[in-house]
Parts: sequence; C-alpha cells; structure tokens
Amino acid sequence: MERAQQQSSDSILATLSVDLLIQILDRVADPRDRKSWRQVCRGFLLAEALRRRSLRVLRREALQGLLRRYAACLERLDLSACPALDDHALAAALAAGAGLWRLRSVNLSRASGVGWRGLAALAKACPHLEAVDLSHCVGVGDREAAALAAAAGLRELWLDKCLGLTDVGLAKVAVGCPALEMLGIKWCLEISDIGIELLAKKCQNLRVLDISYLKITNRSLQFVSSLGKLEDLSMVGCSHIDDAGLQFLNNGSNSLQSVDVSRCENVTSSGLISVIEGHKYLQNLNIGDCFPELAPLFLSKLNDLRDSLTVLKLDGFQVFAPSLKIIGLNCRNLVEIGLSKCKWVTDEGVSELVAGCVNLMTIDLTCCHLLTNKALAAIGDKCKNLTCLQLESCKLITDKGLDCIGTCCLNLEEIDLTDCTMTNAAMKYLSRCSELKVLKLGLCDKISDEGLVHIASNGKKLRVLDLYRCFEVTDDGLAAIATGCKRIKNLNLCYCTRITDLGLKHLSCLEDLLDLELRGVHYITSLGITAIANGCQHLTELDLKHCHLVDDAGLFALGQYTKNLRQANLSYCQVSSMGLCNLLGSLKCLQDVKLVHLTRVPVEGFESALRASGGRLKKLKLLTGLRHLLSPGLIQMLQAWGCRIRWVDKPLNLVP
Amino acid sequence: MDPKQMPTFEAGSSMSSQSRNLNQNQRVTEFDVRETEQSLPRFSSRLDNSFHQSNQAQQVAMNWDPRAVLDSLDILGQKIHQIQDIVRRSTLGNERQLSIQPNEFAAQQQLINADLTCIVIELISTAGTLLPLIKNASASGINSPGQIGGIASSASDLDLVDMLQQNDNVVSEGAKDSEYEELIKGLSDWDDEGIKPISTEDDDAKDNEDGVSGENLPLGSYEVLQLEKEEILAPHTHFCAICGKGFKRDANLRMHMRGHGDEYKSPSALAKPSKEASSEPIPIKRYSCPFIGCKRNKEHKNFQPLKTILCVKNHYKRSHCDKSYTCRRCNSKKFSVMADLKTHEKHCGSNKWLCSCGTTFSRKDKLFGHIALFQGHTPALSMDEVKSQGMSVQGQSDEAMAKTEDMDYLISGNVIDDTNFSGLKGADDDLGYFSSMNFDSFTFGGIDGLQQPSFDTSESLFSFHK
Repeated sequence: MERAQQQSSDSILATLSVDLLIQILDRVADPRDRKSWRQVCRGFLLAEALRRRSLRVLRREALQGLLRRYAACLERLDLSACPALDDHALAAALAAGAGLWRLRSVNLSRASGVGWRGLAALAKACPHLEAVDLSHCVGVGDREAAALAAAAGLRELWLDKCLGLTDVGLAKVAVGCPALEMLGIKWCLEISDIGIELLAKKCQNLRVLDISYLKITNRSLQFVSSLGKLEDLSMVGCSHIDDAGLQFLNNGSNSLQSVDVSRCENVTSSGLISVIEGHKYLQNLNIGDCFPELAPLFLSKLNDLRDSLTVLKLDGFQVFAPSLKIIGLNCRNLVEIGLSKCKWVTDEGVSELVAGCVNLMTIDLTCCHLLTNKALAAIGDKCKNLTCLQLESCKLITDKGLDCIGTCCLNLEEIDLTDCTMTNAAMKYLSRCSELKVLKLGLCDKISDEGLVHIASNGKKLRVLDLYRCFEVTDDGLAAIATGCKRIKNLNLCYCTRITDLGLKHLSCLEDLLDLELRGVHYITSLGITAIANGCQHLTELDLKHCHLVDDAGLFALGQYTKNLRQANLSYCQVSSMGLCNLLGSLKCLQDVKLVHLTRVPVEGFESALRASGGRLKKLKLLTGLRHLLSPGLIQMLQAWGCRIRWVDKPLNLVP
Repeated sequence: MDPKQMPTFEAGSSMSSQSRNLNQNQRVTEFDVRETEQSLPRFSSRLDNSFHQSNQAQQVAMNWDPRAVLDSLDILGQKIHQIQDIVRRSTLGNERQLSIQPNEFAAQQQLINADLTCIVIELISTAGTLLPLIKNASASGINSPGQIGGIASSASDLDLVDMLQQNDNVVSEGAKDSEYEELIKGLSDWDDEGIKPISTEDDDAKDNEDGVSGENLPLGSYEVLQLEKEEILAPHTHFCAICGKGFKRDANLRMHMRGHGDEYKSPSALAKPSKEASSEPIPIKRYSCPFIGCKRNKEHKNFQPLKTILCVKNHYKRSHCDKSYTCRRCNSKKFSVMADLKTHEKHCGSNKWLCSCGTTFSRKDKLFGHIALFQGHTPALSMDEVKSQGMSVQGQSDEAMAKTEDMDYLISGNVIDDTNFSGLKGADDDLGYFSSMNFDSFTFGGIDGLQQPSFDTSESLFSFHK
C-alpha cells in the first residue's frame, strides 16, 4: 500500500488531508512499514508525528530532534536504551518541547547517568507525568527521589535497585506523590519499617507494591495492611517477615489479588492460611521456597479460593501425589502452576493434578526428575489449552512423551527441553505445533540437522531457539532454520563447534535477529561475522567469546552495519587496538562490552578505545591487571559517566 | 508562731495547746495535714534561732573557743530536758486519760522526733566548731529532715553514737535507744531512695520521677513535709563529721572518710548502711514544693506530692528557678539542673533529622512521626534545604544570614535595599524572578543548558529571607 503512495507522493498529498492520512496510518501496524511511511515525504511524516503516542529512543544524537518533532502528542517515552543519557541531554531534550509536553509515562530504567537535575527538569517540564521507571539506576538516591516527588500526579513509580534510596527519599515520594498507585522499591536495601509506615500513611491509593528483598519486619506489614486498595503485594526474600506479619494482612480488607512471598524463609503454612482467609479473591499466589512441606490445612484452605485462584507457584516444595490431587480438586480454575525443583513430583501426582485443572496453560516442571512419558500423556490428554511447558532436566522423558504433547497441545507456544534426552524424532512431533515461539534444546546433544529441518518445516512463528551445546548441528541445519524460521530473534549457538562461516552466511538472511550467541564456535572467522553484520542489521547483542579466529575485519563490519549493537562480548578474540577503537568509537548504541584477555590489544589500545566510547558504556568487564595500568583519570571518567567496571581475574585459557 | 516563746523554747506549753487544738479536730486526714503544716515552720524557725546562736559562736571562736562550745552545750542540755518533760507528760496523759486519740499520740511522737533531730544537728555543728577546717556545715540553716538524715547517715550509726557520747552522753538521757535507732534508720532509708534516681534519670521520665502521679495514695495516708527554698537549693546533703566538707552522695562521703584514719577503712564503715527490719511500720513520707500555686504545693487543690528529696530538688530547680546552665555547643538550650544539661549535651548537635519546616529531631522515627502528622512536611535532605524559620529556630548564627545576603547582592548584580528585600519576601513562590540568574558559572559547572531556578542550592539561598 505505502509503496504505491511512495511513487506518487505529490498527488496523494493533494487529495488526502491529514486526517485521512491518519486514518490510513492507523491500519499500518508493522513498525517497519511505519518506517517506510515516514520516509515517504514531509506530509506523511507530519501525519505520523500527530498520531504517535509512544517513542523508544536508541541513540542520544537523535534524542533532541525526535522529541522536538513528537513533543505535542507523545505520551510514552522510553529512554532505557538511550546511551550516554545525562542530566544535560535530558534537560535539553525536554526543553525542545517546553510547554507542550503531554508525556504520561517515562522509562529511564538503567539510565545510570541521569541524576536529580535531570529528574527535576523532567518533573517540571511534564505536568501530566503519571509513570516513571527508574529501576536499576543504582546511583539514584534521596536527592533524585526528592526531585521526582515534584511530579505530584505520579501514579506509577519503579525504583527497583536504586541503591541510594533511603527512608528519607521514600518519604519525599510519599509526601510529594499522594496519588501513587503502583510502587516498586525492590532491592532498595536502605529502606526500613519507618519508611514503609509513612508510605502506607500517605499513599492510601496504592494498588501494587513491591517490597521484595527489603530488610523490613512484621511492623511494616501492619501498616501495609492498612492499604485498603492494595491488590498486588510482592515481598520476595523478606526474611524478617513471618506468620505474625502475614496475620496483619487478614484484616477484612479482602482486596489482595496477588501475593508473592517466595523465599521468605520464616513464612509457614499458618501465615498463608491467614492470608487466604483474609482475601477471598486471591488470583495469584507464589509461595516458592518458603518452607519445605505443604501442610494439609493449607491445601484444604485452597478450597476457599476455588473460583478465583489462577496462578499457584510452589517452587522447591516437597509435593507428594496426594497434595497434587487436593490441589487438582480445590483449584479447578488454575491456569498456571509452578512446580519447579519440587521433590517427589511423580507421574501419578501430575495425572491427579491435570485431571482437576483442565484449564492449565502453563506448567513448570523444571527439575522434576521422577517424571516420565506417562505424565506428558496425562497432560496432553487433559490440558488442550497448554501454551507453555517447562521440562528442563526431566531426564526420563523420551521422544514418545513429546508425541502426546505434539498431537494434543496444538496451541503450544513455548517448550523448554534443556538437558532432556531428546532426539530428532521429538522435533518431528513438535513440528505439529505451528504456534511454537520458544524452543529450548540446550544440551540435547542428539539433535542434529535432521531435527532442525523438522522444526523449520513448521516454525514460521519461532522467535527464540536455543541450541546450546548441540554439537551435531552443522551449517545445513542453520540453512534450514534460516529458510523456515524467518522471525527468529534470539538464537543461541554456543559451543555448536561444527558451525562455520557458511552457516553464518545462511543466518544472515534473518532480518529480525536481535541476539546471537556464538560463544566457543571456534571455526568462524571475520568473514562469517561480516555476513551477519551485513544481513542482521538490528542485532543488539552479540557474544563472540572464544571465537579465536575473529579479527579486526569482523569488528570493522560490525562497526559499520550493526548500528544498534548494544551488548558485545569480545573476550579471547584476536582483535587489535585498531578494530577495538573503531568498534567502540563507531557504535553509538554500545553500552555493555566484555573485553577479557584480548592478547593483541596493548594497554594504550584499551585506553584509546575506552576514550573513544565517549561515555556511552554502562557496563565493562576487564582484566584486573589493567586496573593499575589504565590511567586513573580514564577510570574516574568512565565511572563519572555511570559506567560500572567489573574487574575479573582469570587465567588465560584458550580452550573453552 | 509566737515569737515570745522562741528564746525560752517553751516547747512543753506549746505542745499542750497544740494537743488541745487537735482534740477538736477529730478527723485523721485533716489532722495530719494541718499538724505537719504547723509544726514544720515552727521548729524550723526555732532552729534558725538556735543556729543563729551557734553561728555566732562559730564566728567568734573559729579558733576553738571553749566558752562558746560550753554555751551551745548548755542550750542543748536545756532542750533535752524539755523533751524529757514532754515525754513524761505524754506517758502520764496516757495513764490518766484513756480516751486519748491514737493519732494525737502519733503527733506527739512526731514532734519529739523532730525535736530530737534538731538536737542531733546542734550536736554536730557544735562538734564542727571544735575543728579549725570547718566551712559551711551549718550554712543557710540545715533544718530539713532530709538533710539531717544525710548527716546522720553520713556518719555510720556507730560513729555518730560515739561522737554523741563524747559530747556529753546526751542521747542516753534524752531519748530511748530504740527511738533513736528508728529515727536514724528511717532517715537513712529515704536517703537511699534519694540516691537511686540519679542513676536512672532520664529526660522522658522526668515527670514520673518528679512526682507520684501514678501512685494515688489517699490524702491522709502519708506525711507531707515541705522544705524551704534555701534548704532545697543547698548544694550538699552529706557532711564530713570531722572536717565538715560537704558531699552530694553518701558513698562519696564514705570514700572521703577513709582519709581521716584507719577506723574508717574497715569494710563495715565503708559498706552501705543497711536497712534493718523493724517491727513498727515506717510512716510514708511525701514532699511538698514550697512554691505557692504550684501543683506540687500542698495548698493546690490537685496536690500531687513529690516522692523524694531529690525529686523536690529537681522539681524546684526545673520549675521555679532560673535556667543558669547553658549548653556550650548550641548556646541556646538552658537548664537549671546540671544533669539535664549533661543529658542534653550528649545529644546536642546530633539532631541530624530535619523536617522541611525546620524542626530538628534526634531520631528518625520521631521525624517520620512528625511528617506523618502534618500535611506537606517532608524530611529535608540536608541543611541547605531548611527554610528560614528553621534557621532561626535552630539559632544558627547570624553570620550565615549575612553571608547569603551578600551572595544575593552579588548575584543580582545591583544593590537591592532592605525595602526591596522585604517586598521580595512576600513573593516566595515566584521563583521565576531569580530564574534569569546564572548559577552555572560558579555552581553547576557545565550545565549551562539547565535553567532550573528550583535547584536546592538556589532555593535555599532565597529561603533565608522568606
């Protein structure tokens, strides 16, 4: 459609008004088609700008221009991938649309360079701001929280792993943003009961609260329980909370829909019973790794949640067949069950479970070593809607079991067979599932090209393929994949040592490829990498560790074509200073590099390459020896730009 | 008080009139209160008088004047005889009039006790005149039972008896041994009580410590004693019987006594005087503050008595005296009790928890409690952010004020006179007024793109003048 418009743009603009253009644009869904649309002419670009509501910025250079163009209509802005974003850049970009901003949501996750000045500018420029994500900005502390608290209309705030945040910062937010509905303060380890108490008193509208891994006690729960609208409470790994704390939640508010108390060591059945008694509409219950054994009383209490409970996660429990039978009887509406690493899960137990819970769509049986094909037969028999099945390390399962799954569960989208004893026949059975999006075959060393041909035969929707250590896979298998599964985004070929440049040349037709792992594929050379760089230009992650034959030529190609590359592991490659400098200097999105044991790069090479990176790096892995060889000024500068350097001390081991 | 009675010390006649009055007052409670009210000032003035004499003796014969000593001993002798009379009369009365009220009898006993205490004091001060090093053993009239107790218990029982026997064996003549012991014991009892609160003193517990609010003793079930202002403010309560040096604590005195000879070094002399079980119940003593109108004063309609002498002292100093101790760190907090100052100095300067309103707290939970209570208050991140009123409350130096004012002049580039400034104060929300100013050059380094007037630094600069 847009191709036709492209050819005669002048006449089209004359006949189609902007609102009609917008009507047409609304029917163009694919991002790549939209890109073509923007490139037609100014009129089309304007129409797109008027229609655009969300924007994800990948390059800092483009930030200001983009924001100027979209200032008027934009509601959601994602800056999490934008490298080298600092206060100055953010404030300048926001100044471009001063007075016009209708931004409601801003994502600054991992934007480690942004400090309180930038946030203050943001809060001032965007009066309608409702959601901010600052998660994993480890530098964010009280000052930043205080700056953000100026945005009084904030409803949603994510501050996970803002390590500098204390009770004071939380109090600033609680007082400044009383309308807060969703708040995540996971891993903000400085926050204590006092802060939570004030939060609960000031922000009575909280619906979603994540207080995982905080060092809070039962006292906090006492105040949290006063939040009458709370629906979703996550408190993973709060080891100071016990049953007495959970009892506070049983106060008749009956509002909770989702509770996650996994890894709370001191929580037992009786505490959970009080939660169930207090909240009859609980939909989601995650109690993984709390206590070893399920008490009968708890299991019978699940009957209270018969109609509502849809997700139950019991990771790490001892779950015997009778327990699963009771769950099957009591939780008929269960959609998802997690039995990862549960001991004593047997075929009998799974059969009893699925006999009751026929609506199950997601079943996690990771590391349930006792399961055999009988369990899969039962699942295939009862759960016709199954979409996700995790079977990692279920070593007793064979191809025959997958036959049942492949025949009965035609909606299957995701299956994890890592470390199972599967052969090519199993792939043949799975190829019946045309909806398959995620297939994990790591460590299945009997899978060969034949199996991949089966997958490719009906794998148009496949997005993720994991072939970690599938030694039998060769270039021919990749050729089949490249022709059959065009939509692949993540491809893991680590230690598939038979693969050569030819295989990579086949893969280069995968335009959607974002993440390619080639660790230890030691036959590949720069030729193969050049082919990949040329074909897969959207690549954002690339792992070339232990690819000893890859040299500067490969890096030059990457630097030239894969402009979106964000994460690269070049450890043990035969690259020199030239290639490294070129790569770090030319890739404007590169934020995370691992440069361990680059034997051909001298200290000066590292020095100049890191300087060339120009403050874009957020994570860097280097040998400890370099710590004292690199100039202190450089290290300080990197850290000032928000880069975290991980110093590793590993012996040079050329054979993986 | 009839002044004519004083010099001749006609305790007997005054007693009899007293008891007649008492007969009319049948009710126990009323009796107790009235009796103590009347008797206390009475014998304190008596003592003042006698002390006056002994003081004179002291002044005249600082270098040991035997005549003066003899005089005072004579007076003592007279007093003892008078008490003997009273005792005899009361025993006679007991035999003749069987109808005598038990409370009346108790009152007589109390009077005798008080008189005996006076005598003990006299004795000690007389003994003091014998020593050249005497300082202020009897300064400003030691006539409170508390202080007598201090003296009595300061020398251990045996020592005191020895001393008294040296000074004419008056005790054996005047009072029965048992009575005397009881007196000493009673006094040393409350003395122990008085020492204890020092260690447990706490700012928060001040009110409880001062009074017996939680005790709710019925009004008549205890004796009410009232000390005079001078007695309350006397610096020491324990005096060395040998050199007269004063001490605040009995334990310190006992340590001091070791320097006067080996006999004071024995474990028994150094040990804390122990309470002895007695058959007779000791009357509960409570104290009244001499300040009229004070809730702790017995005239007050909601009278709340004070438990110990120490409570009296602390209460009187805290409530009715100037606060003469100033904290040397903050130069603003003042206290009348030294211990309070010391408690404050421990935390002074550590009030690091600030509210945006300027109030400071020593504890985070207190600050957060405050914030939870008031709308719009937030914790301040640093001193920068504290608003002007906070600064003045804190008593921060004027220097800071002056400095920032200078800064303003510099920044705005032209001189703004005071009236202009006061005009600005009203428009504190209009931060835009200052937005054109460039802080970049000296504050924010390279952030020239940011014209953020609401940066904390600038805000704090102007907030001084709000």
